[in-house]
Amino acid sequence: MEFKKVLVPVVGTEADEEAMRLACRLAKKDKGKIWSVFVVAIKRALPLDAEIESEIKKAEEILDRVESIATEEDYETETDILQAREVGPAIVDEAVERGVDLILMGIAYKQRFGQFSLGNVVPYVLKNSPCPVILYQQ
Amino acid sequence: MYIIVVGGGRVGYYLLKALLNEGHEVLLIEKDPRICKTITDEMGSVCFRGDGCEAAVLAEVGTGRADMLVAVTGDDEDNLVSCQVAKHKHNVPRTIARIRNPLNAVLFKKLGIDVTVSSTDIILESIEREVPTHPLTHLLTFEDKDLALVDVKIPAGSTTIGKTVKDLDLPRESNLALIIPSEGGARTPTPATVINEGDQIIAVTTRESEDLLRAALMGA
Amino acid sequence: MKILIMGCGRVGARLASLLDEDGHNVTILDTDTYSFRRLPPSFGGTALFGNGIDEEALKKAGVEDMDIFIAVTQGDNRNVMACQLARHIFNVPRVMCRIYDPLREEMYSALGLETVSPTKVMAELFRDKIKG
Repeated sequence: MEFKKVLVPVVGTEADEEAMRLACRLAKKDKGKIWSVFVVAIKRALPLDAEIESEIKKAEEILDRVESIATEEDYETETDILQAREVGPAIVDEAVERGVDLILMGIAYKQRFGQFSLGNVVPYVLKNSPCPVILYQQ
Repeated sequence: MYIIVVGGGRVGYYLLKALLNEGHEVLLIEKDPRICKTITDEMGSVCFRGDGCEAAVLAEVGTGRADMLVAVTGDDEDNLVSCQVAKHKHNVPRTIARIRNPLNAVLFKKLGIDVTVSSTDIILESIEREVPTHPLTHLLTFEDKDLALVDVKIPAGSTTIGKTVKDLDLPRESNLALIIPSEGGARTPTPATVINEGDQIIAVTTRESEDLLRAALMGA
Repeated sequence: MKILIMGCGRVGARLASLLDEDGHNVTILDTDTYSFRRLPPSFGGTALFGNGIDEEALKKAGVEDMDIFIAVTQGDNRNVMACQLARHIFNVPRVMCRIYDPLREEMYSALGLETVSPTKVMAELFRDKIKG
């Protein structure tokens, strides 16, 4: 497998950092490019182009962090903040648009109503991704 | 414009599609998770699962900033309540309700719903347009001004055939806008225009003087 | 007094028989004649088949002469619409409405209907019982 273009969606968990390290190692061999994106979900109460400063600040901090991870791994990543109504479709759209050949995402173990839950983003991405997906669960 | 559509039946589905194509921001609210899934799979994040009559649901989808709410479920009572909640709780400037029972138009109007659409009435009106026994049909009503744009066909045997417009005994609130002769081609009527059999006359009138207008145009 | 009840469920049927016993002139409406089995044999009022959100059915039930209209079907929206019909189209002096959803109940109460939310009432009742 060749990993020329890798998309790493991040949300700010520790799993992101490990996913980023893994992405760097995978991409390095093929001198691939890594994009890390943070999706700001905009509630319907606001128009899609609303600028929520607190969210953008949070996104910037998270993206700065993964950027520094890439530097630690002696590699680099391009970062981007996306705004969308829902996270899953935004990630898939980005993957399609950039023509990536891998989506690599870290996920944290989560429980909802006392049961293990993948949430709705991961299943959506798995179902609709145009390319292979690697999940890293911490 | 941000438009909220309540009810994901056939009407809601095609309305959603058409409005999206026109470039509006549209959100469909639908209770049935299966319908939501079908729509989301096809059109993306444009469907919200929930009860469009609930104030909390309407709040969550940002009804406060909506320019319009269109309720097109199959039940008149649900459409009424959805529009009322949108109006009274979220100050939506324009609400449109689909009605099954044409009689409900009066109640809905009284309760402040801006527009009602009754498929029964629409079909009836197109039947009227085709059937010569109903020579006056409504094309458009301006509810707030109590005016209607009507279409009157001059049937054979009308006593007004051959008369000029200035000889017609038109009610004061009515104005003739256009005459379309049976051979086609629309003309703006002048006082000297002669009425012919088969003419189609487009006029503006108040509700009250509708009958007078019809009598004036077709003779007794 | 002349009272029209819409919906012959448990509440509707019980209310009808209570009001009938009190000597009121009661008419009860339901879209399913099977529901009228809930009325006691002693019920002296009128049970009618009909849909309370249909103007013509309401007219047939004599809504125009009623002093009170009460809507207690299972559907909040049906109740609300029927009450508004009774009030705004037929000018019934008092209209009362069951609305399960507390938020909707508050709104229609603000809009001038006499409303009861069983959800709210029951929750408060149980809480008060616990409080002692």
